Amino acid sequence: MVATAPDPTATGSPRAPRDALGQRSWFSAASVAVAPVLGITLFLLGWQAATKIFDIKQYELPTPSSILSSINGDKTYYLENARTTLWEAFLGFAVAFGIAMVVAAIIAHSRVLERMLMPLVVLAQVTPLIAYAPAFVIWMGFGLRPIVTMTAIVCGVPFLVNATTGLRSVDPNLIELARSVDASKWEVFVRLRLPSALPNIFTAARIAVGLALMGAVLGEFFAGSRSGLGYSVKVAQNHNLPLQLWGSVYVLAVLGALAIILISGIERYVLHWHASQRR
Amino acid sequence: MQTMAFAEPMVTVEPLIAVRGVDKLFGRRSRVVTALSGVDLEIGAGEFVSLLGPSGCGKSTLLRLIGGLHQPDAGSVTVAGTTADAARAAKQYGLVPQAPALVPWQTVADNVRFLSKLHRGSAAHPTLSNGEIADLLAAVGLTGFEKAYPHELSGGMQQRVSLVRAFALGAPILLMDEPFAALDEITRADMRYLLLELWERLRTTVVFVTHSVTEAAILSDRVVVMAPRPGRVASERIIDLPRPRSAAMEDEPAFHEIVRQLRVDLREQHQ
Repeated sequence: MVATAPDPTATGSPRAPRDALGQRSWFSAASVAVAPVLGITLFLLGWQAATKIFDIKQYELPTPSSILSSINGDKTYYLENARTTLWEAFLGFAVAFGIAMVVAAIIAHSRVLERMLMPLVVLAQVTPLIAYAPAFVIWMGFGLRPIVTMTAIVCGVPFLVNATTGLRSVDPNLIELARSVDASKWEVFVRLRLPSALPNIFTAARIAVGLALMGAVLGEFFAGSRSGLGYSVKVAQNHNLPLQLWGSVYVLAVLGALAIILISGIERYVLHWHASQRR
Repeated sequence: MQTMAFAEPMVTVEPLIAVRGVDKLFGRRSRVVTALSGVDLEIGAGEFVSLLGPSGCGKSTLLRLIGGLHQPDAGSVTVAGTTADAARAAKQYGLVPQAPALVPWQTVADNVRFLSKLHRGSAAHPTLSNGEIADLLAAVGLTGFEKAYPHELSGGMQQRVSLVRAFALGAPILLMDEPFAALDEITRADMRYLLLELWERLRTTVVFVTHSVTEAAILSDRVVVMAPRPGRVASERIIDLPRPRSAAMEDEPAFHEIVRQLRVDLREQHQ
C-alpha cells in the first residue's frame, strides 16, 4: 500500500477554512464592506467642507447635503427617470451581450474572420460615441431604438474582445483530452470553452455596465427623450437647476454601483473555482 | 504469469496494437522535420509497454499516432483490427497527459468522470461503476476529496485524479505521456507504485512515454528504446522482473542489470 493516507502536502483539505488566522480574515472581511463606504463618506464630507471653506455658491456647486435632500424630496421624479435610463441601459447591455457571444463563438474558431472583424471592432471603440450619436438619431428617428443601438455598440466591444480571448483560453491539454474520446466541437464548446471564458465574460460585464449607462445617457441627449436621467441632466442644464443636475448624477452613480455589486455577487457565486475569487 | 506470455517476442496471435512502417513528418516554417521514420511496433493486450528515449525522439508523437490524434504520413496503425481513428471514436483510449489537465470548475468526483461523460453512448465498453471509481480513489488516497476542487489539491494529488480519470473510462488502452515528469522526485516514486496498483486491478494495455530509465524498468513488461534524428525504434527489451513489482526490487541486482542494459542501449544512440 502506498500513500493511502490523505496527502499532508495538500494546500487545503476539502471544505476546511483556507485562512489559518481566523481573526485576521474576520477583520479583512469587515474592511471589505466598511472601507468603501468610509472612503465615499470622507469624500462627501470633504466636498461639504470645501464649499463652506472656499465659500462656493450653491448655484455654482451645491453641497452634498443639499443634493441628497433634494433627491429625498423628489423621490418619485428620480425613481421614474432612473427606471427609464436603467431599462435603456439594460436593453443595450443585453443586446450587446447576445450578439457579441454569437460573434465571439464564430471568430474564436476562425483566425481569418477574426482578422476581418477585429479592425471594425477597434474602429467602433476608438470613434467617439458622441460623434456618431446624431447620425443614428437621423437614421432611426427619435425614441428607444437609436439609444439601445448606441448603447449596444459601446457595450459590445468589451464583450466581444474578452469573450473571444476567453473562448480561446482553454487548457490545450483539455482540448486534446476531449479529442482523445472523439468529443464533438459542440461538446468542446459547451463543456470546455464556454466555462473557461466565464472569467473574461465577467470582466467584460463589469466594464460594460459603466458604458451602458453612458450610452443610455448620451442617447437621451440626442434622441429627443422625454424622460430618463440623461434627459433630466439636459433639462437641468438648460434651466440652470444645479440641484437637479447633481441629483441625477448621484442617482446614476448609485445605479452603476448597484449593477457592479450585483455582477460581482453573481461572479463570486459562479466563479468560486477561479483564482480571481480567492483572497 | 499471464502477462509474461504477451511479453514474449514471438507473438502468434494478432497484437492489439500494430504499428507498421510508420513515417511522420512535421512542417516547420517551410522546413520538413522527420519526427518518425520506419517505425514498427506491436503491443499485445494487457501489456505494459514503455517508450523510452531523449527529447525529440518522437516518443510522444508515436503515442499520439497510436491514439489517432496524429495521422501517419506513411505506414499504418491498427488497433484491434480497425484504424486508430475508429478506435478513438469508440472511446478505446484513456489518455493521461503530462500536466494533470483537470477541469478547474469541476470537483474531483466530476473530473474522474469527465472522459466518460464526453461523446456519450459511443463507447464499445462499459465505464466503471460508481463503486469501482470509489475503490480507485481509495487506492490513490483520495477518499474524502470527492467534493474538493483541483485548486485545493497538491500537484501530486491532481495527477492521481488524472490517473483515476483515465482508468474510470474503462477503456482497454491507456496512453500516458510522461505523466509524472512535472512532479518532484519523491512524489514521482510513490506515483509509480500507485499506477502499478491500479494497473494490477484492471490489467489494461498501457503505452507509457518516459525519459526516465528507472521508471521504464520498474513499470514495464517491455521497454522500447527510441532514438532521435530521425525518430525511430532503436531496441526493445523485455523486463522479466516478477509482478507485482515493489520498491524493494529497485535494490536488487537483477533490476540494476536491466537499468544498465537500457542505459547502454540509450548511449549507443548518441554516438
